[in-house]
Amino acid sequence: MSKSNRGDGGRGDKMPEFRPGTWLQGNGPESDIAICTRARLARNLQGFHFSPCLPDDEARELYDFIVQRLKQSGMPEQLHLLDLDNIDDLERTVLVERHLISRELAGSTRARGVATDTEEAVAIMINEEDHLRVQVFASGLQTEAVWRRAERLDDALIQRLPMAWSEEFGFLTSCPTNTGTGLRLSVMLHLPGLVWSDEIEKATNTAQKIHLAVRGLYGEGSRALGDFYQVSNQVTLGRDETQIQSDVFLAVGRIVQWEREVRQALLRGTARSRTLDRIYRALGTLERAQILSSEEALGCLSALRFGIEEDLLPGFTIPNVNRALLLSQPGHLQRFTRERLQPDERDQRRAHLLREVLGCSR
Amino acid sequence: MQYCTACQKAIASIVIMDLNGGAVTGSQHLCGPCAEQLGVGQPKAPTKFSAEILEDLLGGLKSSRPATSRPRAEACPGCGMTPTEFRTKGRLGCPRCYDVFRHELMPLLARIHESQSHRGRLPGRTSTAPVVTDEKNLADLRRRLEEAVRGERYEEAARLRDDLRRAERGEGARP
Repeated sequence: MSKSNRGDGGRGDKMPEFRPGTWLQGNGPESDIAICTRARLARNLQGFHFSPCLPDDEARELYDFIVQRLKQSGMPEQLHLLDLDNIDDLERTVLVERHLISRELAGSTRARGVATDTEEAVAIMINEEDHLRVQVFASGLQTEAVWRRAERLDDALIQRLPMAWSEEFGFLTSCPTNTGTGLRLSVMLHLPGLVWSDEIEKATNTAQKIHLAVRGLYGEGSRALGDFYQVSNQVTLGRDETQIQSDVFLAVGRIVQWEREVRQALLRGTARSRTLDRIYRALGTLERAQILSSEEALGCLSALRFGIEEDLLPGFTIPNVNRALLLSQPGHLQRFTRERLQPDERDQRRAHLLREVLGCSR
Repeated sequence: MQYCTACQKAIASIVIMDLNGGAVTGSQHLCGPCAEQLGVGQPKAPTKFSAEILEDLLGGLKSSRPATSRPRAEACPGCGMTPTEFRTKGRLGCPRCYDVFRHELMPLLARIHESQSHRGRLPGRTSTAPVVTDEKNLADLRRRLEEAVRGERYEEAARLRDDLRRAERGEGARP
């Protein structure tokens, strides 16, 4: 098998549109386990109904008003506005897979859009569940950096737009789970160690006890495909932004430490051969499989990522695994192949494409 | 030109401003009919609404007065959301819903956040105000609030209510 150590200067240059955005860059503090940190602010405007009671014509008026204000000079970010009515559903799916918009925003029929920067580190969704959903991403575990950047952006938005707020409840949101700061800080974690050693439930329960929500990044419900999890604060009211930031940072730091310890245990004694077997089986599948569902691909890529991080698979790189993670998603896969594919066709294409991206095709 | 913050449909003709030491700290824009319905903007407030306004003003002051059990069957005048809709959707339809569904909302917030009041930034305020807890000050604020309500000085009463809430949370006076 050929193993080429391709970094960012490899195949990715030929497909710049599939360069992973900020959230999959694979650098930043603790990035072996903490893939990305996101700050999200929920904001609504005075003088307009909230989303559940917002008629379509008022949604259009609100959208135009926000867009006009975002175009005013002096914004701390260079943003490019994308009207989601002007792109097709495949392009919208690609944006969902890049975490720039939510599935709900993509599927909505109202006037809606997203303002992003070229690095995909900032994305402001317009007319989501709240009038504005401001998102800031940074690679690795960087809760303070994303919050500070979101705060600067929020200051600029507050200057331009009449936000709905009260002294008592803070920023008023459509759902009471976001009332107050409207701040949700999430860290995307890759936790194969905790999953393979059956400690994940214990970790999840511990996090929940300190009011953190833990859910799978891919897949529905409690199933976390590819061992990717998202940990975020549940409380937005009664704690200020700095406290929330500190809560998430400390708790995630402990989970990261726990994952490292468990990984070391999995590579010692009798556990070692089982762990290696699992990693090399995944590699074998990626090298040879002709049909690969996105579920199976995520599982194999997770094992491969674990192997690379523990220096077991020289020649493979994290940037290529990240690119493979992105391209194994249905939207990216179809856009890359420039074809609308049926699910079984996708599975065939995925198997071939991942081999190419990972540099193990022959 | 601004739309009425209550009905969100008519052009506002009345502005109610919260003043603190000469500085405007908040404002509400209302149209004539909404202002009348709320008992503000008229030289004499309709007596029919006085009791309701008093209850609204005192509704949030749990520590100084037990919550009333006035049945809340009406829809939100701001967006038309009914109590049933709020309960089934779990979503609010406009900023006014926070007051209209207050009785249902407060226990919900306590369950989700273990808190019922905001700490953190707000427009024009980036840090938490210094903590001042003074029982004498609290008693004084409560007395002034009751006097203001009795005298039907609702604007003053609303401001005192907010001050009292902040003082009870140990957040000091409005910055």
